[in-house]
Amino acid sequence: MPIEMLDPTHEADAARFTLASRLPALAGKTVGVISNGKRNTSPFFDAFEHALVETHGVTDVVRRTKSNYSAPADANLVEEARTWDALIAGIGD
Amino acid sequence: MTLVSKRYEVADILAAQEFCHSRNWTDGLPVVPPTPEAVEACLDWALLPAEHLVGVEPVRERAVTAEKLAVNAVMAGCLPMYFPVVVAAFTAMLEEPFLMHGATASTGGCAVLTIINGPVRNELGMDGTFNALAASDRATTCIGRAIRLVLCNLLDARPGDVDRSTLGHPGKFSYCLAEDEEHMPWPSLAEDRGIPSGTSALTVMAAGAPRQVMNEWTTHPEEILDTFVAEMKANMRHYSIWPGNYAIVLPPQLRAHFAKAGWSRRDIAQYVFDHARIYRREWIDVGKAAVVGRHGDQQYAAIPDPEHLLIIAAGGPAGGFGAVIPPWLGQKSKAVTVAIGACVDCAPPDA
Repeated sequence: MPIEMLDPTHEADAARFTLASRLPALAGKTVGVISNGKRNTSPFFDAFEHALVETHGVTDVVRRTKSNYSAPADANLVEEARTWDALIAGIGD
Repeated sequence: MTLVSKRYEVADILAAQEFCHSRNWTDGLPVVPPTPEAVEACLDWALLPAEHLVGVEPVRERAVTAEKLAVNAVMAGCLPMYFPVVVAAFTAMLEEPFLMHGATASTGGCAVLTIINGPVRNELGMDGTFNALAASDRATTCIGRAIRLVLCNLLDARPGDVDRSTLGHPGKFSYCLAEDEEHMPWPSLAEDRGIPSGTSALTVMAAGAPRQVMNEWTTHPEEILDTFVAEMKANMRHYSIWPGNYAIVLPPQLRAHFAKAGWSRRDIAQYVFDHARIYRREWIDVGKAAVVGRHGDQQYAAIPDPEHLLIIAAGGPAGGFGAVIPPWLGQKSKAVTVAIGACVDCAPPDA
């Protein structure tokens, strides 16, 4: 006997998230880099910052760190991010 | 009642299983097909409309509706009468101090421990005695499983997706128990955390795996607690040094000694607070010298204050076996207690 059953997932909610639009180039831009606060982000983002500036011509790299690596970014951080041309969030475990 | 979830038709019960497994909607075990009738029965029992918004998960801004909770509760094997407990669990988990996203996404691999108090335990046939921490009865097993299925299906906390646990632990299948209120010398855990006597309630905690201890060789409360404290200190050395909510599970055989000595919950918590402490330099002994630094003489307590210890009465009548249940990671997630079936937003008729 056929069984009718319901979808247990979020369904339509998933479609709300889309990738951010891409910059045509990084040269001359301000790029924010948000660390989740774990110590291994430091050396990785040091090298990443160097690559952004030296290889891609980024004008300014703004380094910020979340106050709690398991929680969403603080409100003031989200607000500040609006002034950047691009934002990259990273974790370091 | 209007249900908005997408509907599928499958040939029979076996096809339903394969359909769910193929979509990664299960925990690997068989599920009950969530038919519209079964889902409506849950919602009817809880007097909730399908679209009722239990909360919004803040990181991914995902709505947690009564309908989706009910679909997953049915799949986990819940009877309609279990459903208000599932709703209450997510009401608690969506409280900001619980930090649900962090707790369910972390490499630390904790699970949601749910402790049930009040009349609902008996109404649902929960049993906080024999085998209390592992499938002691249908209700706690299914409710704990429902929590996990919701996390997976509604919030994408599947292994390798949002759930980034390195190992996890078996409590992720189901980690729910009822306190053995009929055989305890103290007010219940929920009462201790501010819930009025006679009110059904639950407490959720982002919890590591239970670490079983045993001491049948003393009747002195201090010596019994020294065994639990030793396990907490071991956890601080081997896992995380940060203070947070710890739970200890005390079986009847050990509770009897505390009762005879006149020890209250507060006495136990104070003793643990005073004694469950290590120095950071102790990490040198366990291979963690690299992060001791200049803080070797700094002392850390397992709990920031006595109120952070959850003392749970549970277990079968014989045996001096207890458990220490450590927090996921310090105070990043805090245990939350809520009443079951109470609408905190509902105004009285003449308000």
